Amino acid sequence: MRVTQSLNQTQFLTALDTLESNLSQTQNQVSTGLAFTTPSQNPIAAGSVNNYDQVLAQSKQYTANGNSAQTSLQTEGTALTQLQNQLQSLRSLALEANSGILTGEDLTGIATQATQIQNSLLSLANTQDGNGQYIFSGFATQTQPFALTAGGASYAGDQGQQQAQIAAGQTVASGDSGDTVFNQIKTGNGSFSVAANGGNTGTGIIGASSVTGAAGYTGGNFSIAFTAPNTYNVLNAANAVVATGTYASGQTITYGGAQVTLTGQPASGDSFNVAPSANQSLFTTVQNLITAIQGGAGSPSGQTNLNNAVATALNNIDQAISHTSTVQASVGGRLNTITTQQSVDVSQQTQLQQSISSLQGLDYASAITSLDSQNTTLSAALQAYTQTQGLTLFKYL
Amino acid sequence: MSDVFGITISALQAFQTALSVTSNNIANANTPGYVRETAELTNAVPQSSGTAPIGAGVEVAGISRAFNQLSANQLNSSQSSLGQLNSLQGYTSQIDNIVGTTAGGLSGALQNYYGAWSTLANDPTSTAARQALLTQAQSVATAFQSTNSQLQGLNTNINAGITADVTQINSLAKSIASLNQQVAVGTADAGGQPPNDLIDQRDQLVSNLSKLVGISTTTEKSGAVDVFVGNGQPLVLNTTTTALTTIPNQFNASQLEVSTTSNASNPISSQITSGDLGGLLAARTQAVVPAINQLGQIAIALNQSANAQQNAGLDLSGNFGANLFSAAGPSAAASSNNTDNTTAAVSITNLGAVTANNYVLRYQGGAYSLTDASTGSAVAFTGSGTAASPLSADGLSIVLSGTPASGDQFLIQPTAQAAGSFSVALTNTSQLAAAGAIRTAAANTNAGSATISSGTVVTPSNPNLLNTTTIAFTSATTYSINGAGSFAYTPGSNIAQNGWQVQISGTPATGDVFTVQSNAGGTGDNRNALASASQQTQGVLSNGTVSVNGAVSALITGIGGQAQQVNTAQTAQTAVNSQALQNVQSVSGVNLDEEAASLLKWQQAYQASAQALTIANSTFTFFMDSINGTYS
Repeated sequence: MRVTQSLNQTQFLTALDTLESNLSQTQNQVSTGLAFTTPSQNPIAAGSVNNYDQVLAQSKQYTANGNSAQTSLQTEGTALTQLQNQLQSLRSLALEANSGILTGEDLTGIATQATQIQNSLLSLANTQDGNGQYIFSGFATQTQPFALTAGGASYAGDQGQQQAQIAAGQTVASGDSGDTVFNQIKTGNGSFSVAANGGNTGTGIIGASSVTGAAGYTGGNFSIAFTAPNTYNVLNAANAVVATGTYASGQTITYGGAQVTLTGQPASGDSFNVAPSANQSLFTTVQNLITAIQGGAGSPSGQTNLNNAVATALNNIDQAISHTSTVQASVGGRLNTITTQQSVDVSQQTQLQQSISSLQGLDYASAITSLDSQNTTLSAALQAYTQTQGLTLFKYL
Repeated sequence: MSDVFGITISALQAFQTALSVTSNNIANANTPGYVRETAELTNAVPQSSGTAPIGAGVEVAGISRAFNQLSANQLNSSQSSLGQLNSLQGYTSQIDNIVGTTAGGLSGALQNYYGAWSTLANDPTSTAARQALLTQAQSVATAFQSTNSQLQGLNTNINAGITADVTQINSLAKSIASLNQQVAVGTADAGGQPPNDLIDQRDQLVSNLSKLVGISTTTEKSGAVDVFVGNGQPLVLNTTTTALTTIPNQFNASQLEVSTTSNASNPISSQITSGDLGGLLAARTQAVVPAINQLGQIAIALNQSANAQQNAGLDLSGNFGANLFSAAGPSAAASSNNTDNTTAAVSITNLGAVTANNYVLRYQGGAYSLTDASTGSAVAFTGSGTAASPLSADGLSIVLSGTPASGDQFLIQPTAQAAGSFSVALTNTSQLAAAGAIRTAAANTNAGSATISSGTVVTPSNPNLLNTTTIAFTSATTYSINGAGSFAYTPGSNIAQNGWQVQISGTPATGDVFTVQSNAGGTGDNRNALASASQQTQGVLSNGTVSVNGAVSALITGIGGQAQQVNTAQTAQTAVNSQALQNVQSVSGVNLDEEAASLLKWQQAYQASAQALTIANSTFTFFMDSINGTYS
């Protein structure tokens, strides 16, 4: 084939362009540390890196969300621990009030202390987090949830529960509403509660009660009616006798899967009402206790009333303590979930970063090798050109 | 003797001519389009004489061009393809750079935007978190707008390129026509000998023209070259030209199309598929417009999904969230050729079905037809174009203001305007809807163990959504809503009312009451913020299979893939072109070594002839001297 000098030059220049552009691209890779800087250099990887980047950012966000929820839950946990302490103090006070050897002044002193605890409980229920948000008001975090009323406390919050997204499709509640923590506490033993009829004239005092056979327990309202000081009937809601027996102080009365222990001496015609447990605010329980203690024990029947009221309160306080423990356990469980998820997050993030770097990161060894070989090719091409350009017949004419 | 002189002189003249031709070759060794020439020598026919005929010397029969029409045509065609790829590559690589590995910054902006929703969810009343979200939303808007405006800038460049190409094509066409004329005159003047230099110049102009636009040529008997573009539209016919011109696109006056001056209203852009001009047109239809549409598709997806979530939640003041973003929806442009003023209104009915394509709606012979604007293939649709029965196709609903005139056309662009008009509509941080619209509660007096879910909003537009609703259990297995009806209770199943739905699970007791009510005041609620944050991975496009970010990844891969493919094609075509050039040059190019050898050859022949003349002269002198006696 005939080759002409001008074609030679044109083709050399074209080749030079390609060589230099390749060299510049490799140079760019080495100086940025990236295997590609525009999508055209590796379209599939560029799209994948964008996906991985988003997943990585999301995963980091989940970790941040977890941290935030941890802070909230820790704040709640601290409040719950204090709540437990206050409830224990209240329990001791109630036991003290129930001892039966107290003077009116003693009782007044106990009532004062109980009122102080009531205020502490209110302040706990109105706990605010570092941002000034009420942690026990549900969604209404800018509304003070609890205010004392004559019979207990009103609740201005709602039952909302803030959730934190700690993984794709996984949320944990970062708080509990005041309704859940303070208001939805079962009365009595959790299944039923026993109350002395207001018109009782004897000294019958309610003791422990429990469900003995869950299978046989049907719930509903019952009445333990004394037909004589030593005889009782258990009536159901339809006034039908479901159990009957003879009574002595400390007697355990059993009926329909449940048992109730009474002490003291009821009078004929006295009755004790059994009702299914209902939700009662902790503040109602506390207020009832304070009212009962403040009422004092002016007479034997007053003492009986006081004892019964305190016994009821003690049951309710025990329920509150166990309810608070349940909430505490749930908070602890959620904190564990977050910690576990965060360690998963960390390893996921490491893995994502590895994937991104394997896609986008430069393999320096191979890049330097191609830089070398491209350099060699370019200088060889330049040399070949200058050498062949000297070859012309005119030199020899 | 006289024949010796005659022969010698003919030789001297012929070799001088040959030396001149060789010198001319050397002089034009680097002249573009120059075709190597050769002096065609032929032995002169002797006068007949009685004796054995002796030759009458040498004469130059002509000067021939070393030219191969087939190779030249191949080079022109390859140059057209390369020209197309060069100009297309210029644009695809610019788009590649504009979109880049981050989709013009959109990728990072979206990450931060969704992250900001998540941060807000952690502290829904925080003004700082709300402000940060608005700032990130603004970054997203900026990324859309700046990427879009850079892509639109390419359209402007393409228009300028088309205008410049058309001007240059017309100027080349005129020169070719004029050279056709000169070649004819020159041929006549030279007594039928072709005027090689004029032909070289003309062929070079044709070759230059082939870089600008794909052409086909025919050579007339007279030697004139006719040039055609597109599907045979004549550009040069002998000595006359039909100029190309630019006209505005019938749907979009800011887009230039190419047509011929002989039929200016009928664009031939779609027929011009090669050359620089073909590359510009391809860059617009294959690269720039699709990129703008895809970006717009992402913008519409984000706009609709983010706003829908905003509308479903409550802001800090307890009002339904106002739109966070604003972006132009689909547009329908009437053709400038339409004969009446019917307009079309387009809206999106199903985001998941919306594509990044443009469509042409045509009304002809009493029936509508809908085609894909870039492929021309038919698109299925239903409806009749009235408000009661809109034309509906690919997630769009099209309503025409009346019955169009037959032949009317509309260009439907579902997503083209979205990215450029994408902006943040909210300015007040308290208007960000982080809270869910409703909340639920179980009455504290409930004796059963049933619980109610926090509730979700299904139809935010329901006017009764925020009305307080009471679900009261009339027995353990039946409930009434607001005191009415008796519905069977299935634990965990949906209870829907007033645009919301909740689930009650567990064992309710008779008399248990649950309420669903407005979440006004629930400023600590973050459900709507969580839902907004989770849209990061939620499928919205392609029938709910592709998330906003997935579409961004697809855009990056698509743009990169196209640029890569064009780069590859360009590299391949460069090699093809180099081969075609080599073929032409191997026939027509000037090899200086060859010319040096020719110089030597003609020089030696000339010297030998001159020597012959000297010998003839000395022989003749000797003879004369002998006669004159001067020789002794």
